[in-house]
Order: sequence, then structure tokens, then C-alpha cells
Amino acid sequence: MIAEQLRVPVEQVTAESHLTDDLNADSLDLVDLTIAVEEEFSTDDNEVEISEDDAAALHTVQDVINFLRSHGVE
Amino acid sequence: MIDSDRLNQRIVITGIGPVTPIGIGVDAFWDSLRNGRSGVERIQAYDATDHKVQIAAEVNDFDTSDYIDPKAAKRMARFAEMGVVAAHLAVQDAGLDLDNVDLERVASVVNTGGGGVTTISSETQAMARRGADRVSPFFVPIMASNMASCQVSIELGLQGPAITSAAACASSIYAFQDSAMLMRLDEADVVISGGTESNISALGIAGLANMHALSRNNDDPTGASRPFDKERDGFVFGEGAVVCVLESLEAAQHRGARIYAEVLGAGRTADAFHITQPRPDGAGAARAMNLALRNAGLDATDVDYICAHGTSTSLNDLAETIAIKTVFGEHANQLAISSPKSMTGHLMGAAGSLSVAATALAIHHGELPPTINLNTPDPDCDLDYVPNQSRRSETKVALANGFGFGGQNAVVALGAIDR
Repeated sequence: MIAEQLRVPVEQVTAESHLTDDLNADSLDLVDLTIAVEEEFSTDDNEVEISEDDAAALHTVQDVINFLRSHGVE
Repeated sequence: MIDSDRLNQRIVITGIGPVTPIGIGVDAFWDSLRNGRSGVERIQAYDATDHKVQIAAEVNDFDTSDYIDPKAAKRMARFAEMGVVAAHLAVQDAGLDLDNVDLERVASVVNTGGGGVTTISSETQAMARRGADRVSPFFVPIMASNMASCQVSIELGLQGPAITSAAACASSIYAFQDSAMLMRLDEADVVISGGTESNISALGIAGLANMHALSRNNDDPTGASRPFDKERDGFVFGEGAVVCVLESLEAAQHRGARIYAEVLGAGRTADAFHITQPRPDGAGAARAMNLALRNAGLDATDVDYICAHGTSTSLNDLAETIAIKTVFGEHANQLAISSPKSMTGHLMGAAGSLSVAATALAIHHGELPPTINLNTPDPDCDLDYVPNQSRRSETKVALANGFGFGGQNAVVALGAIDR
């Protein structure tokens, strides 16, 4: 999903990938990505919300995975 | 073949029609500019409680009834209505009697950035709630971006070319070169020229807010737009239209018109860099200023004043300052520079013509409008921005800058008629 949002080949995306340094996301891409993550992983029972402060701490793919796990997503 | 006199004609501004958050009509507009009055307030167009951005520069008391038939107004989005009213005001201000000109030779160039985005937003919601049958039959002609120029043409009876350039925040600087081209290429004798923008809606502001482009200084609306200040945190979205009358110097003198200023030339470049960020070294902007000078036959040291793009974003104001230093070298320290956006907010598609109008008025009245809210100087923005108070100063030659999303840079050079 990150591969699609950032338009990079999926093989390039690993848990350690840094969103800006490795995957070329700029500041607009990052906001767009958080919106896509919220939409993709929210369910009727569990609305995922990423505040701007939360978003500022998401630097790598692993950070995103950790955030989702700590907000009830598996 | 185009006659050489026509190609080289001198082009002047004889009428100014502002519909702005700081005043409607040239007298109210100029009075606010020279008195440093802000038009920024808490948003009234919709309920912005709990939104990230709760301030904007709206045009209060905008009433079309003196200028537009109610049935015609119903077929216009607000951006087109403002363009039409501004056009009427400009023609009146110019003392131009449209019954006595060849209307086939009068062109309409009222550029815009977004056109009818607000209309798209509301009709989309209507369709989602009530289905396709409930979409207005006027939806397309209301929201289309060419409709400001076209409604001006329809309402004023103008049968010369009606054209609309989209150049985001540079759109209505483009208008002046677009208009000069029409005149020089023998497509028109008079041009009703300027820009309009009216998209203060939850959708438009949300998009810009999520981009972090807008100031979030919701508790201090009049202080939020602070170009070149160290504490600047983004621009304030505005609405409005500013339209001017352009004609040849010869025609203006022949009919005894009052002349505000001459349009000396223009320069346009593209950054080839980013959809929203300017080149950090200001190279594209610098080149546009240099091209404007060359097109106008001017040296950098001829310039007295620059009406800056000065949006109050951290990126633009810095890049623009660097660009000015690149072009002017030592002379940059002798220039006066100010940004009307400190008072009016950023009128997007109308920002350029607002700057051109402010510059023409500054030349005409011998007084420079200030950059207000300049309380904490930024060490990297260390030029003379006419802080907080207007200043009596004779301006013979000036530039007006406009730099748009997508890297469109446009600069117009203006001069006093008796320089």
C-alpha cells in the first residue's frame, strides 16, 4: 500500500525503509499517505486517526506498522 | 503584417476596479492600503469551528444588485460575479463610455486560479445526497474557469477576444502581458484586464491547510498575514477581483483620460522544480524580474519599488528576497519593497492584478503602501519592506511580482507616465 501511495516498486519497500530518505516522499506525500492509511485501516468498530503530531513521528515503514498495531490494527 | 506603431505602442492603465477584502472601489481600496488596514477576520462563509484554519480575507457586503441583473447573477459563481462588478468599476473609473468605442476591439482578460471550485463542492454534495437528477443544469457553465472573462464579455458587451490564462497565484500578473500581447498583435485596442478568485469554502481551505500552506494564527486574524516577518507561518486565503482598463497612451491622451501608470514590459519563466515549492535559490523568479527589465528597456538601478509576491510563507518570502538580491545586487538595499498581502491576504488568481493596481496607485499618488505586521525582522529577510507605515515616496519605476504553484513566475514593470 505504501508502494502504491509513494509510487515506488513494491520490492523497494522494506520495514526499514525511510519514507523520505529511501522512498522519496516529500511533505505533501506524507500528509497524503497518512490520509490513505487512515482510510485503508479504519473499520466501523475502529476508526484510525493520525494526528499531525503522530504523523511527525512516522519516519519509516516500521513506524507506520507500529502505530497501526498500537491502535488496534493487525 | 502588423504595423510597427502598433507593435511598439505605449500601454497605460486608465481605470482600476477593486472588489477586495479591504474595500470595494478604488477610493476605499487605496484608503485601506495607505492606512495599513487588514481585511482578515474569522471565517463567516461557513462554520469553521474545530477546523485547523479559521481565518480568511473575505469581501464583506458584496452586493451585485447595482451591477448585475438577479437572473444573470444566478448563473454566475461568486468568482465570476466579482469579476463582473470589478470590470464595471474599472470602466467607470476610467471614464470609458462603452457606447462610444468599437466593442469588437475591446477584449476581456479576467484570469483566475481555481474558477468555481466552491460550486463543484456544493453540487457534488447535492448529487451524493439526492442523486444525479438534482445536479443543476447550470453546473458546468457556472464553475468553468473561463466564465469570469466570458461573463465580463456578456455583461459589458465586449466582442473582442475573451481569454483566460490559468497560472495559479501568477494568473493576474499574466493578465497584463496577455493583454499587452493582444494589443500589440492588433487583436484589441482596449483590454479589460485582471483577475478574480472566490473559493472560500471548507474544501478549498482544507486542502491548503493540509498542505501546511496557511497560517493557523486563528486568535490573531489581522496579525496572521505577516510577510517577511520571522514569525510568519503561512498565508491567509482571500477572495476578490481586481480588474483594470488598459488602452494605448495615445488613445488615453486623446480622450483626456486620467492615467495611473504605464505598463512598461513583463517577464515570465518557469521554475521546472516543484508543484508548490519555489526554487530555494529564487533563480526562476530572478530570471523573470530580469526579463521584465530587459523587455521594458530598463536597468536594475532604474527600479524604485517592488510590489512583492510576499505571501507570508516561510519559503516564498525567503526565496523572493534571495531573488531580489540576485537581480539588484547592491541596489537591493536602496529598493522599497512591500506586500499588500499583509493586509488583503492572498487573493490567488486575483493577487497579481491587486498588486499591479496597488503599484499603479503608489506611482500615481507618490506613496508606498506598507507591509503590516512586520514586528520581528527575519535576519534572512533584511531588505526595506516599508514596515507597518505607508511612506511618501516618488516612484518612477516599479515591478509587481507573482509566483504561482507549479513554478510559474511572472513580473510586470510599471512606470510613471512622466518619468
